[in-house]
Amino acid sequence: MTLQWKDNDVPGTNDAEALLEVAGLCVAYGRNSVVNDVGFILERGESLALIGESGSGKSTIAKAVLRLLPHDQATVNGSVHLGGRDVLALPEKEFRPLRGRSLGYIPQDPGSALNPVRTIGSQAQEAAALLGTGDADTRRSGILDVFKEVGLPDPARVYESYPHQLSGGMLQRVLIGLTVLPRPALIVADEPTSALDVTVQKLILDMLSEFRRDLDISLLLITHDLAIAAERADSLVVLKDGALQESGPSRQVFASPATEYARNLHADVPALNPDRYRHHRLASALQPPAAVVPQIQVQGVSKRYSAGGKDTLAVDGVSFTVERGSTHALVGESGSGKTTAVRLLLGLEQPDGGGITVGGEAVHGRSRDSLRSVRRHLQLVYQNPFTSLDPTWRVSRIVGEPLDQFRVGDKADRAGRVREALESVGLTAEFLSRRPADLSGGQRQRVAIARALVMRPDVVVLDEPTSALDVSVQAGILELLTRLQGELGLTYLFVSHDLALVRQIADTVSVLRRGKVVEDGPVEQIFSQPQHPYTRTLLDAIPRVSSPELQGTPTLPQLAKATR
Amino acid sequence: MTSQYKRYALTRAAQAIAVVLLAYVLTFLVISVLPGDSITNSLRDPQHGLSEEEIQRIVAFYGLDKPVLVQLALSLGRFLTGELGFSLQSNLPVAQLIGDALPSTLGLAASALVIAVVLAVAIAYGAHYLPGKWAAVLRSIPALFLSVPNFVIGLVLIELFAFRLHSFTTTDPNSAAATLFAAITLAIPVSAPLAEVLIASLDHESRQDYALVARSRGLNEASLFVRHLVKPSALPTVTMVALIVGELLGGAVITETTFGRDGLGTVVQKAVTGEDQPVLQAAVALSAIVFVAVNLIADLVSPLVDPRVKVRTEVHA
Repeated sequence: MTLQWKDNDVPGTNDAEALLEVAGLCVAYGRNSVVNDVGFILERGESLALIGESGSGKSTIAKAVLRLLPHDQATVNGSVHLGGRDVLALPEKEFRPLRGRSLGYIPQDPGSALNPVRTIGSQAQEAAALLGTGDADTRRSGILDVFKEVGLPDPARVYESYPHQLSGGMLQRVLIGLTVLPRPALIVADEPTSALDVTVQKLILDMLSEFRRDLDISLLLITHDLAIAAERADSLVVLKDGALQESGPSRQVFASPATEYARNLHADVPALNPDRYRHHRLASALQPPAAVVPQIQVQGVSKRYSAGGKDTLAVDGVSFTVERGSTHALVGESGSGKTTAVRLLLGLEQPDGGGITVGGEAVHGRSRDSLRSVRRHLQLVYQNPFTSLDPTWRVSRIVGEPLDQFRVGDKADRAGRVREALESVGLTAEFLSRRPADLSGGQRQRVAIARALVMRPDVVVLDEPTSALDVSVQAGILELLTRLQGELGLTYLFVSHDLALVRQIADTVSVLRRGKVVEDGPVEQIFSQPQHPYTRTLLDAIPRVSSPELQGTPTLPQLAKATR
Repeated sequence: MTSQYKRYALTRAAQAIAVVLLAYVLTFLVISVLPGDSITNSLRDPQHGLSEEEIQRIVAFYGLDKPVLVQLALSLGRFLTGELGFSLQSNLPVAQLIGDALPSTLGLAASALVIAVVLAVAIAYGAHYLPGKWAAVLRSIPALFLSVPNFVIGLVLIELFAFRLHSFTTTDPNSAAATLFAAITLAIPVSAPLAEVLIASLDHESRQDYALVARSRGLNEASLFVRHLVKPSALPTVTMVALIVGELLGGAVITETTFGRDGLGTVVQKAVTGEDQPVLQAAVALSAIVFVAVNLIADLVSPLVDPRVKVRTEVHA
């Protein structure tokens, strides 16, 4: 690393002081307290992770440190000392220069973190101008240098581009580049990789670690992912409902969590517990094959899209089969064609070549009407339960909709089946009259599953069913899905980008890349002996804290001390 | 400029022309199904003092003795060649009637548009940046503006500024001062939806991550507003302004009557009461052309201003 900017050190630097010391921090919106008496210490050159699920207050703490909370709505109490100065007590005018220079911020979703109607270059110029170094030309060459440092392939082109012309990973590199440009003392990274593909996630996290080592930039990492936190941070602070649960050196918190909450969090992370649902899987594998014909057969399917006068093969000769009562996973990153494959299977699009049969019936080349009979047995659970349920409908109507569509039974029959479906997903009858807004994310996804089950389908397509949910909620949904599969003999097609999750729940897997199957087979085989380099890259991207060799490595820097 | 954009522009322009022609045809049909043979009725009005011979000549010119569809074809043909015919009331060429009235109305509408935009930006900026109580007051203003009828605002302004404060006189409605107050009257209801859209998009944009991240790099609020928020917030209003021009044309008729100004409004009003078909037909065609042209400009400008707008050649209407 050869970054040549003047060292913007934290004012009032005193080596004896910790870089960041948060004590008794309370944040409230009106009477609603979101952070309650949280304190921790981050030493110079080290990294600390705030972990917790949605609503734990971790992002609020990050924004309080940066003083980015809406000051007319949020009341902040307590102290945040940066290099010995209480930043909460500083007037805005004195604090603003610290932002950017001493305190960098990397947001969660790089796709929305840059102004969409201005070029990357003009925004980078603006950031560099705030640091007050040189004229536009020197700034430009400085920006291009830093873009190269963060691994952007063609800095000049990136400079001219608009945000929507770059991928999420590239945008996150741009943002990291802009953040390290002034060589801040501390970077606050708010879920910096949760919107990115797993392989990109690893590269970005590696880069942050590298900056910490080479440029002595400390890291305050906010994450919901215990595996990432334990892999990347020296110390952990576990939060729940705005209160501190437990804190200490990562190894200690990780190896022997003191609180129930931390233990559960640990148990729910797929990367750390690959065998959690193994007994379900073995049970289903022991069942004798019920039919000779596989439940789903996809043979040499391809689909072409044309965009901007250019043809793209979204799916290119994809084949896989799924046995009745088993779970097959389609794994791939964005652009791998997994979503197109699902759309083809559901008959929402027609393939340009190849064939698809479900339960022995062809899905391809059928009219809309005759597809309905296939759809009865083929249901979808969509990725995001926050958008897949009509907010104006009540649960009873949402779950009953497929029955109304297919005119199943009379009114009493339908009501009975709706209640039965809700019961099977663990929701009581009192949920019938609620609307989606009254439900939590996990409850919403249960409603979505109930809606899929009410038709008593044979096949359920699960499109990233837990990616919008917290890990503890995810665990509940996965448990439910495995139980339902055992009880109802369902066949699942499980679409995911998360290999650790796939290892927990699937029997067989196809790894997709750019529309092609690069590797497929039983889950154990793929995970223990990956043949294709891409599969190995994906596997490497799984945070690997649980492996014993890393736990004892001396490369872990001196551990930060965390109060309380 | 890409060839793709050129294709997009041509498609849009062709659609615009089609809309104008359609508007012309619809107006013609609506007028022709109105009770009574409007042209012949008013021609025979003894007030005009036309001789039977002259009437026959006019009837032959407009093809009034032929079926409606043939009349339509003739009328459309004249329209396309720029021949707008003669007013049945005053016997003056329609082109001259409208040409005389147009500058006054265009001046009024254009100044009203400018005032409306300035007013809307001021309200939106205040609603966003002023402290709580004042912001709340400003936020309620658009609803107030919308709910007061145009002519009431005009009458209040006349009462207050002409009769009490003597800022202008009603006897000279075309003076600069009188034009200003007429323009304000016209601008107030029109600025309301504009201000509402601006407030909403300013709220939306300032909550976006990029605004937060820009702040995290040390940008102050004023630069944030000027460099980051203005442009994306203004984008939805480009389309809005185009729609507003329609309202301005409609509002101009009322405002001109309230203030006693001569303009397109008075021409249209007289034409309606006198069943003056050629004038009406031309006035509607003109409004359609202005409205469609402004919307066409908005459509053509948006992709140039907003890099995210993808130009598609097959436009789904």
